[in-house]
Amino acid sequence: MSVFFVAGGLVAAGAFAAVWRRDLTAAIAGIPLMFAGAGVALVGVGRFAAAGGPHLFGQAFAVLLAVAAVALIALGLGVAGRESSR
Amino acid sequence: MDSLHAIGFYVSSGVSLAGALGVALLPRRDQRGVGMGIVALGLAGLYVSLSAAFAALLALACYLGAAWLLATPQYRSLESVTGTAWRQVGAAGAAGLLALLAYAAFRGDFVHAVYFGGELGATALSRVVFAHDALATEAIAALMLVAVAGATAAWRVRERSR
Repeated sequence: MSVFFVAGGLVAAGAFAAVWRRDLTAAIAGIPLMFAGAGVALVGVGRFAAAGGPHLFGQAFAVLLAVAAVALIALGLGVAGRESSR
Repeated sequence: MDSLHAIGFYVSSGVSLAGALGVALLPRRDQRGVGMGIVALGLAGLYVSLSAAFAALLALACYLGAAWLLATPQYRSLESVTGTAWRQVGAAGAAGLLALLAYAAFRGDFVHAVYFGGELGATALSRVVFAHDALATEAIAALMLVAVAGATAAWRVRERSR
C-alpha cells in the first residue's frame, strides 16, 4: 500500500509542476515526475501482486516509461530552442 | 519485504518525494535539475528495494539525463499564456488528484503472490522487453528517434533563422 502512496505523491507533484509553472520549459519537468509515479506503481504491482508469469511486465513498462520521459524532455527543450538563438 | 528493504524503501520514498517537490517549487533551472537528480536517486532506490535492480540502473541513467537537460542554461524560457486563475484551478486539481490517489491507495491492497524474479532480473527482463513486449519497445525507440530528430531539426531551423 505504501507503494501506491509514493506513486500518488509523485504523480500529484508532477501534475502540480505541470500546471503551476508559468515557464513552459519548467512545466515539462512535471512529465517525468508523473511517469516516475506510474513506474513505481507498475514495479510495485509487479513485485507484490502479479499472479503467475515472470512478474516482470511492470518493470518492463517502468523502463519504457523512463526512456519515454527523457525523450519527451529532449523534444520539449529542443522545440523551445537555445537562449542565444533568440 | 524484509526490514533492510523496508528501510531502503522508506528512505528512497522520502528522497524521491523531496526531489519532486524541489522540481515543482524551486525557482532556478539548475536547482530544478538538481531536484530531478535527487528524484533519479530516490527512484533508483525505490526500484532496488522492490527487487528491480536492472530497471533501477536504466531509470537512473534516463532520469539523470533528464536532470542534465533541465539544468543546462542554454534553453530559453517560454512564457505560458494561461492566466493565473486557471493555474490556480490546475493546482487545486493536482491537490484533488493527490487526495483521490491517496484514497485509492488507502482503500486498495495487493493480491499477494510469490515473487520469483530475483534481485537483478536482467536476463528475464530482457526476454520480456525484447520478445514479449518487442512492439512496445519498438514504439518507444521510434518515439526516442522522433524526439531527438525533432529537437535537432528545431534547433537547426532556429540557428539558420538567426
